Amino acid sequence: MNIPRKRLGAVVSVLAISLIGAACSSSSTTTAGTTAGTTAAGNTTTSAAAGMDYSKLDGKIVGSGATFPKSFYDEAIANLAGIAPKLTVEYGGGGSGKGRSDLQEQVVDFAGTDGVVKPEDIAKFKGGDFVYVPTVIAPITLSYNLPSVKTLQLSPATIAGIYQLKITKWNDAAIAADNPGVTLPATTIVAARRADGSGTTDNFTKFLKASVGTDAGGTWALGSGSTVEWPAGTQAGDGNTGVAQIVSTTEGAIGYVDLSDAKANKLSFAAIKNKAGKFVMPTLEATSAAAEGATIKDDLTFFLGWADGDASYPIAAQTWIIAYTKQADPVKAANIRGFLTYLLNEGQTLAPTIDYAPLPETLRMKAIANIAKIGG
Amino acid sequence: MTAVIDNTSPAPAMVPLLSDLSSVSGRRRNKNMVMTVLMGVSVVVVGFVLLLVLITVVRKGWSIVVSEFPKWFTKDIQLSPRRAGPGMKAAIVGTIVATATATVIAVPLGIAGAIYLNEYGKRSAFARTLRFLTNVMAGVPSIVMGLFIYVFWVVPRGVDGLNAFSGALALACLMLPIVVRSTEEMLRLVPQNLRDASLALGATASRTTLTVVIPKAAPGIISGSLLAIARAAGETAPLIFTVGAAKATNWNPFSGTNTSLSLQIYANAKESFPTAQERAWGAALTLIALAFLFTFGARALSGRLSRTTES
Amino acid sequence: MALALDDLKSKNQTADRAFRGATLAGGATIVIILGLIAWTIADKSRLAFKTEGLSFFTEPRWAPAANVYGALSFIYGTAVTATIAVLLAVPVSLGIALFTTQVAPSWLKRPIVAMTDLVAVVPSVVFGLWGIIFLAPKLTPVFKRVSGWFHGVPVLGRIFGPASSGRTFMTAGLILAIMITPIIASISREVMETCPLTDRDGALALGATRWEMIKGAVLTHSAGGIVGSVMLGLGRAMGETIAAALVIGSSAAITANVFSPGDSLPSVIAFEWGEATSDVKRSALIAMGLTLFVMTLIVNFVATAVVNRSMKRMRGES
Repeated sequence: MNIPRKRLGAVVSVLAISLIGAACSSSSTTTAGTTAGTTAAGNTTTSAAAGMDYSKLDGKIVGSGATFPKSFYDEAIANLAGIAPKLTVEYGGGGSGKGRSDLQEQVVDFAGTDGVVKPEDIAKFKGGDFVYVPTVIAPITLSYNLPSVKTLQLSPATIAGIYQLKITKWNDAAIAADNPGVTLPATTIVAARRADGSGTTDNFTKFLKASVGTDAGGTWALGSGSTVEWPAGTQAGDGNTGVAQIVSTTEGAIGYVDLSDAKANKLSFAAIKNKAGKFVMPTLEATSAAAEGATIKDDLTFFLGWADGDASYPIAAQTWIIAYTKQADPVKAANIRGFLTYLLNEGQTLAPTIDYAPLPETLRMKAIANIAKIGG
Repeated sequence: MTAVIDNTSPAPAMVPLLSDLSSVSGRRRNKNMVMTVLMGVSVVVVGFVLLLVLITVVRKGWSIVVSEFPKWFTKDIQLSPRRAGPGMKAAIVGTIVATATATVIAVPLGIAGAIYLNEYGKRSAFARTLRFLTNVMAGVPSIVMGLFIYVFWVVPRGVDGLNAFSGALALACLMLPIVVRSTEEMLRLVPQNLRDASLALGATASRTTLTVVIPKAAPGIISGSLLAIARAAGETAPLIFTVGAAKATNWNPFSGTNTSLSLQIYANAKESFPTAQERAWGAALTLIALAFLFTFGARALSGRLSRTTES
Repeated sequence: MALALDDLKSKNQTADRAFRGATLAGGATIVIILGLIAWTIADKSRLAFKTEGLSFFTEPRWAPAANVYGALSFIYGTAVTATIAVLLAVPVSLGIALFTTQVAPSWLKRPIVAMTDLVAVVPSVVFGLWGIIFLAPKLTPVFKRVSGWFHGVPVLGRIFGPASSGRTFMTAGLILAIMITPIIASISREVMETCPLTDRDGALALGATRWEMIKGAVLTHSAGGIVGSVMLGLGRAMGETIAAALVIGSSAAITANVFSPGDSLPSVIAFEWGEATSDVKRSALIAMGLTLFVMTLIVNFVATAVVNRSMKRMRGES
């Protein structure tokens, strides 16, 4: 890459705040500017800068993996194509597991993943060390189809009851207790879930496990994972679209669907009770609020669900792009850095327009610092 | 072979006209009629189901294919599925390239294998094992074929391994058993006396096979191969692991990522945006039309060929 | 002259041998490819068998979160859906093949052939999508009604048990039946076409009705080919991935109720592979492929034995 390695940290962060400010005023707090300058991230001069000349990027990079951020990446790739006409970025989706095994076998240049690689698997990655670059976050909604109910509130225990088929009618006492003053119909509940293994299921069940898991003295006994042993009475749909389709066509149905798909299918969704005991709607602001409180590890991995804070929405998904630090081809390395730089700068302003939440500023700065390690 | 005839009914004194069944007992006549009606019903049932499928596909996919015609066929695929606009050229080209490459690999190989089975191997232990294994291969799920090629062919080549040729290898694996089994069935039905006559005239075994047996079995062989090609063109699972996720046209099977109509159908159907849904059905319509045109053309061609060789 | 003929003969012999060798190579390729497939999937599923042992085959639970990987529910689902598919598709396919070759006037033959071709070219994913969007919602009330009819009836009451959705074993079986119909119909038709006219005319001349002629001449003549086509269809039904996955309901369940959601081996591979992030899970999914491989092996073995026995009996009788 031809960009001079200057100390751009402060410049970048100021620029970024102005970029994101409009989109999520509540999320980018004043700490961002100072953190970037003082942390290790700020000191390891960021070569990836907002003022990058994308038109110099030339060639092709191929990625696969998580499907949750795919429509964000696709839109970003389409926009990037306008300013980097010689660069081709392909992102094939296929799931986090596929992405990781593709990267492990070096069949792709970068991989998207919603989860963290297990410590025992790290050594299997043929290309050596890799870095996590968080790109975007988003809430997972509980969408429902009850024409007569305009607003719905659900607590984690109620959700656990519904998905374990302990609560089968919408006018169940548990749901009524969550919704004082709301007239609930006697409709049978159809609990919709994913047919395919999915990061969305993983994050949803992690939230249930953390909030009302049997370990925590609650009622959620199915554990967590990309697939759990759903009771046979639940209905399965392929992908977020499949679940959304069940919800939109079945009166009385409820399903966990990421915000962008829920909105695309015009579904109504519930406010969920968070750790502080407040019912919060799945908005981008509430997701960013959850991210503000999240514990970010040194490798930039974190979990957003069941976060502290009055304004935090409790069910959220996070996603990363992972790429090898050692790159044989400097041109390819520059292309990967260029794409990631775009995602973490221009992409962050794009995100809220398509129902994804941008990263909090501190995290974004650390992510940008990680980009520099690729091929560096 | 002796025909099994119902001996309980009185034998007619005279040979009846083919259509004249008046001398046949009522029970037999009724049974005959019921069975004939059932045969007709089978055709109607499948025709009805096909019609329902086609109506769904045409209704949902027609508008995007014809809107701004012929851009659907001449423009590459939109980079972002949420954006409107036609363009499926990359997938049409990808399907043609991958399926054609797979056909070039699988059909000659399959026909050769079938010739061996029927003309040389016959009831030998090896031939029997081979026949058995071919049936087994027909049951290997398409996704496992994809994983097999991924492990065996793509991984050793890294990113460069994602191309139409890798996809074609997986498709060829799926086609091979269908070509072998259907071709062998057709060869088996060529009467032995044709072979004997040719051999008696001094032709070698290979010459007999090539000039007598194969032409006689050609329509059936073509039918079987078409089934295999149609199957390959519509497969999604083996390509997910092998061809990558290109959105730009690539005619080269050996280099660069590619895509296919089937992949585009599946990928777009998974997106919630109306634009993507429409694109999925448009791709389905295109694939069905393309495959049918091809099948129809091949049949017409084979019909003309067999007519010219007969006259 | 004699020398020239000898020369020609040896030249011909060489060509002959080369041709034979080429066809043998074609056949051998299949053995090699299949060997590679078997070796690759066996190798990749070793880890699953090492951790799960034989309980892989007997464990009905599929719970990656609890590190329990059992294939029994999926083996069961594959068997049930493939059985439904074959039971439905074979009579219909043979009906079509017989109608085309024996009943239809010549002008009608081409349209029917074109129709079966058209069914064959509909991609599997389209059948799957049509299955969930169009068929499944329409089937739900049908399933409910049928299960009502058989309520309380022994055996049948359990097979056609209560239905709650359109994504079931039955739906998958139906979709698979549609998909394998062109395979069975098309090959059977070609085989029936070759039934010698003398056999048919002979039967008719002896006073047989058309159906008796079909039973006596056409079906006997084509039996081997029909069995072959059914085996191909069965293989397809057992191995079909995307279409079955979309409509089967994705629920690891062992129940006699065909109106209950279930899952099959290829579907679970397709739907779980994308998020299979642990080595054991990935290995378990490949072991599912191996299991299916072994299942087709057994089915083919049994079928071959049955066909051989009936062939022997037929020869013994005549």
